[in-house]
Amino acid sequence: MKPLRVFFTGVGGQGTLTATKLLAETALEQGIEVNAGEIHGMAQRGGVVHSFVLLGGYHSPKISRGEADVILGFEPMETLRALSFLCHDGLVLSSEDPVPPVSVSTGRETYPPLGHIKSETIKYSPKAQFIPCITLARKTGVVQTANTVLMGAFFSMGVLPLGLDVLLDSIKKRLRPALVEVNLEAARLGAEYVSRHSQE
Amino acid sequence: MNLLDPNPGAKELLLGNEAIVRGALEAGVGFISCYPGTPSSEVPDTFFRLAPKAQYYFEYCPNEKVAMETAGSASLGGVPCLVTMKHVGVNVAADPMMTLAYIGTPGGLVILSADDPGCHSSQNEQDNRYYARLGGLPCFEPSTAQECKDMTREAMELSAKWEQPVLLRTTTRVNHLRGPVKFGEMKPAKTRGEFRKDPSRFVPIPAVARVRHKVLTASLEKIRSEIENSPWNKSWGEGDVGVIASGVARSYLKDVLKSHPQIKVRVLELGIAFPFPENTVKNFLAGLKKVVILEELEPILENDVRTLCQKNGLDVQVTGKGEALPLWDEYSTLCVEQALAEALGLPMETKSSPSPDLSGLPNRPPNLCAGCSHRSVYLNVRKVFGDDAVYSSDIGCYTLGILPPLKAADFLLCMGSSISGGCGISRVIDNPVVAFIGDSTFFHSGITGLINAVYNDYNIILVILDNRTTAMTGHQPHPGVDQALYGRRPGSIEIEPLVRASGVQNVRRVKALNQKAVLEALREFREMSGVRVLIAEEPCPLYAKRMLGVKRNKVATVKDPGPASLECLNTLACPAFFIEQGKMGINPDACAGCMVCVQICDEIKPGSRS
Repeated sequence: MKPLRVFFTGVGGQGTLTATKLLAETALEQGIEVNAGEIHGMAQRGGVVHSFVLLGGYHSPKISRGEADVILGFEPMETLRALSFLCHDGLVLSSEDPVPPVSVSTGRETYPPLGHIKSETIKYSPKAQFIPCITLARKTGVVQTANTVLMGAFFSMGVLPLGLDVLLDSIKKRLRPALVEVNLEAARLGAEYVSRHSQE
Repeated sequence: MNLLDPNPGAKELLLGNEAIVRGALEAGVGFISCYPGTPSSEVPDTFFRLAPKAQYYFEYCPNEKVAMETAGSASLGGVPCLVTMKHVGVNVAADPMMTLAYIGTPGGLVILSADDPGCHSSQNEQDNRYYARLGGLPCFEPSTAQECKDMTREAMELSAKWEQPVLLRTTTRVNHLRGPVKFGEMKPAKTRGEFRKDPSRFVPIPAVARVRHKVLTASLEKIRSEIENSPWNKSWGEGDVGVIASGVARSYLKDVLKSHPQIKVRVLELGIAFPFPENTVKNFLAGLKKVVILEELEPILENDVRTLCQKNGLDVQVTGKGEALPLWDEYSTLCVEQALAEALGLPMETKSSPSPDLSGLPNRPPNLCAGCSHRSVYLNVRKVFGDDAVYSSDIGCYTLGILPPLKAADFLLCMGSSISGGCGISRVIDNPVVAFIGDSTFFHSGITGLINAVYNDYNIILVILDNRTTAMTGHQPHPGVDQALYGRRPGSIEIEPLVRASGVQNVRRVKALNQKAVLEALREFREMSGVRVLIAEEPCPLYAKRMLGVKRNKVATVKDPGPASLECLNTLACPAFFIEQGKMGINPDACAGCMVCVQICDEIKPGSRS
């Protein structure tokens, strides 16, 4: 396959690292060369989480500025903050549902307008897609599946040499039985959303 | 995935730290000790998790020095040992480590030092390759998951063969990468051995130490010739410009060469760079005009290569640290690319990366969790002492109290420093001093500071924030945690009797979430002098939920939003709070039900989780 660098950005507690591991394990099982990287420690205390999956023969465990073929943003403001990592002609897939930092929720700072986040993103990634991940995840009854909504969207876009069916199989195989159904539904919701919006 | 699979052949995606575990298992490790610390923690945590199904002996220790001493001495009994810690932990363990290199480690001892270039979760980015040179420890530096596994195994074998401790030096990126690992054969764990008495070797009185230093030097020379031929030190490529690379810089180099096929260089990868493989490097330099050294942090190899050139009269231009390759932070493909372009005089197309407008973008620092009892204690300390007191902080989640509005950290040195640091400054300034330390950190190295406080008659208030676990690094147990929780011999070492036995007269023990109790104790302490210790107890809410099965069904709700709740929001700054249309609300999904806000604000009432 054509080598591909996938950059994950999100907020501690959103399942960014779970999604990272899911992509890395799925790709390895499909015979793709994988290297992935993450940083632990401060993540679960509401800080920013960056992680990386490098497919197709890279050695590095991280992605530098201007190198990411794809940015998967699990939180829109963090997508904006991570844009400098995108390569020329790269693709951004992002949640459009904000998770405000404490400074914003307590009124000390202001969250950037979603319109600004989207226009800045589209400037560098004309095909960028914004997905209401949390809103869609609520439909499954488990809001924590918002990360899987984004993964479903990603696998259905034809950027990876792996389709949505591969993700669904991997979810069945790797997640705890109690979590499988809701995550399958979340992945499908994400995929449907982008297919509807690509046609528009 | 089964790390205990005795058979070779499986190929699994492993975290670098999990691969280190597998490598040690393949070498038949019999004794593992540690003090946890990011980025090393998943190594001991994995051993701990697997222990009930495995043969080896594993222990969490109160600190790194103790861990070095238990593992180092178990190796004297002929058992292969591993001790793990983060880079700054090696400072704590350095004393026994230096001696172990003199007396030797018959069963084999591998010391994992997990360094943190970039200070992702540390107070400094010291380069522990210096410790290899300082102590005389052969040093392995893996760069991939497979190498983590293979090098750990080989480090254990090399250590057992030469009876010398070996340093396994990783960096955060390597500990926390995930890559494919092919499993090898697993030796049965060797957990029993025998101690062959030899005081003229193992008791380093000066007469013995002088001899052992020479033995160490001679051993290192033999190891040097062995690693000259090691497959971990390999050269490839072509051209008259060379690159010598170590650690994760090897990975960045490979990716740069892959994406820029026009760059022609000869490469020497040094997987084991100490003892410095002089002949290998000398042969590599032959015919080169120029050599670029790629190593994160300190110019150690660079200086070794310069010395080698001087000794052998080699006319090779050596470049290393400089604008492209700084002495700080991590390397990247970008800095390696720039360094190579400069060395080869190649014009590099300057890649423009997106530069979105980030002006005024709020930051998202890590925060004390909703329901964290540290917030409750800090709130009351501020009520009583405000900005007047000097707050001597320590290492743990509670350091996050540095942020406003709590502002409960004025200075910090290292693990355990809050008490002795607080004492020192209290003797020379007029302000009251309040020191904060967590339970695990108190056991780590707070106790000696407390004894000093009593012994030297200091005026200090110590608050022990006892959340019953090592929270920051992932909820590891410590001596104050009941071991029955983990299926071991029941019992724990209680903090209060330990504090009293240290000679402290004024000790109060309170529930950390009880506002009245915390406030009264602090007000009482303010009017007293001498060493005063407040033990504020409340399990970490994450730990309580996951490990203790505690369910909090109540949530706090703002019944009557007005100025008092806004004041509460501003002083407590709990992540579950929000403002909407000028009024405070509480997110029920985020509220952990600690009820601190209910106690301090009449507008907030307990409600049921709907």
